[in-house]
Amino acid sequence: MADIDTSSTSSPGRLSLSNFGVWGTILPLASAWLVLIAVTGAVRSDFLAHQTVLAVAFTMAVVGTLAVGQALVAISGSMVDLSQPTSLILSALVAVRLLELEFAVTLAVAIAVLSGAAWGFLNALIIVYGKINPVIVTLATNFIGLAALFLVFQIAESPINSSFRAFGLGSTLGIPNIWWPMVALIAVVGFFLPRTRYGRRAIAVGGSRFAAQARGISLPKTRFAIFTAAGAAAGLAGVLFACSSGPFTPSGGVVYLLPVIAAVILAGVTLSGGRGNLWILLLSVGFLSTVPTSLVFLGLSSDWQAIIQGLILVVAVAIDGYEARRGTR
Amino acid sequence: MNHLSLRALALSAPLALGIAIASTGSGMAQDTFKVGMAVGGMECCEWMKSQGDVARALAAQRGWDYYELSNKGDAPTALKNAGLFIQEDVDVVIQFNGQPSVNPALAQRFGSAGVPVITYDIAEEGMYFVGIDNLAAGLAGGEALGQIVKEKWNCEPDLVISAEGAGAGIVNTWRTGGMRDGLKRVCPDIPEEKWVSFESVGQATVGLPAARDLLAAHPNAKRMAVVGLNDGGVLAAINAAEQLGRADEIIGWGQDGAFITGPNVNPHLAGSVFYFLEGYAVYAFRDVIDHIASGNPPPVKHDAGDPASRVQPCPVSAEQAQNVPGLQERVAMLLEAPAGTTAYDLFCPNK
Repeated sequence: MADIDTSSTSSPGRLSLSNFGVWGTILPLASAWLVLIAVTGAVRSDFLAHQTVLAVAFTMAVVGTLAVGQALVAISGSMVDLSQPTSLILSALVAVRLLELEFAVTLAVAIAVLSGAAWGFLNALIIVYGKINPVIVTLATNFIGLAALFLVFQIAESPINSSFRAFGLGSTLGIPNIWWPMVALIAVVGFFLPRTRYGRRAIAVGGSRFAAQARGISLPKTRFAIFTAAGAAAGLAGVLFACSSGPFTPSGGVVYLLPVIAAVILAGVTLSGGRGNLWILLLSVGFLSTVPTSLVFLGLSSDWQAIIQGLILVVAVAIDGYEARRGTR
Repeated sequence: MNHLSLRALALSAPLALGIAIASTGSGMAQDTFKVGMAVGGMECCEWMKSQGDVARALAAQRGWDYYELSNKGDAPTALKNAGLFIQEDVDVVIQFNGQPSVNPALAQRFGSAGVPVITYDIAEEGMYFVGIDNLAAGLAGGEALGQIVKEKWNCEPDLVISAEGAGAGIVNTWRTGGMRDGLKRVCPDIPEEKWVSFESVGQATVGLPAARDLLAAHPNAKRMAVVGLNDGGVLAAINAAEQLGRADEIIGWGQDGAFITGPNVNPHLAGSVFYFLEGYAVYAFRDVIDHIASGNPPPVKHDAGDPASRVQPCPVSAEQAQNVPGLQERVAMLLEAPAGTTAYDLFCPNK
């Protein structure tokens, strides 16, 4: 498992999660997930059932796919992409409209993913040529994008009797079909990011922009590559969302932003860039997707879900900040 | 002029421009009757936009000025809009306000300015109530679903799921609670532990994860009936059952008719209750605004039980709904119909 780390965040002689390398993230996360499963299973034995696996896996699919794009943006030092709700719905809408026009499913899916990539490219265009902070740009483009989507449609839904929908609701090996593309994406990006030229450049830019530039790495080209790839990931998430859900509105993607950012931070991806391991996303997304299901089994109302997820995010950000401060001492 | 007032001027300019752009009508003369319309502007619902379209057309037919603003499903925006309408000196305001907590403040503000207000569906003292009897609509839908539960499962479902929309306040209580009560009228002996709820927010995709978790927590439930605030909320539970491979075991009956027409109706949505929300302006103009414009304002009736104008609920099965035109077609047909004809008159198959 290749851990990406261009920063020096560990301080010898003092206890820190970063002293344990990638295991400093994996072990606490896996332990927390196992404890959650064990406690819920002890209270409700029917928690350890196939229905729970399906519920958690469906939640994981869209969140995990979005988290890949979000992790790429963070690793490259651009903090977060706040426009993911728009790119998700944009690509979902493109897929649905093309299927309504009786395009072949593969073609509709390809164009939908490309529309997400185009959205990411547009973000990069504004960031690079406007020389504006990526967080501000994606915040603004999300507002603009949602407003534009409202002008275009109110409600959309994939055709109920289509093979597209059947895929989205189906399972392979007892796991939802839409879970597998998420795993494949994490595996592919996780494998190639530290092993390809663009991947290494992205990590280098995230670690230290000035050092990367001194080595001749083009910041604009890297940003175009990263945001376009992140947009494509969001485009794939939109396709998975469209084929597995019912009618959706332009704002249907907003609910994903908090769990996606929480998953990225919990996976040990530093928002300041240069460090992160995409494989751990599987753990963090799995853990966060299990939390709301566990709460329901434990008899807590759905109102608690947002509270718990928010608290987890706060704790994760606090740990991230603590580790970063230790690294700068 | 200090910095504060300069900033206020700068901020108010776009608002003034917005209201100017939104206004229609040929003249801006002082004596032209002015209708203000605050549409709901919530993201869930296409009919909210259509409510404005019908009101605009009816105002244009009468040669009146029409000003439209969106409440955006947001309480502060609704309050801000009230100020803009008063500033524009409108003669009457129609509002759909999905955030009823600010209705008392709105009533006070409009009352002080002497602007009569028609409120759709959510009653408030001092405002003309035009709308559905939400409790009656809930009861009707619940009874219709109860008949299916009785015929199909001998009134012995494993689970009755309520798709709540707490943000709608009393409307959720009337509709979702009304559906539960209606179902109990037909099937009075369903045990208490069979009744469960989740927060759907009235949207299929937003409520989907919560519904999925709820169903996973009841893995042995085979026969499931769903009631809820609206079609979108009910579909959240149905879509969750589809994802978990349990779609054959679930039947829902919605409210508002948003997803029961057209070619893409979910087969597990057995029916819905139409209010024909897009056509409320016909009632508002016919029973209230025309009288105000002619100088004979009717008494303010704010009680949903004794309203200024009552909209009839129209429960329909999915099969019957296939003969009901879609939203846009209904709007077009309504505007072509003789004055005062309601959407209920035109489209309800169960009159």
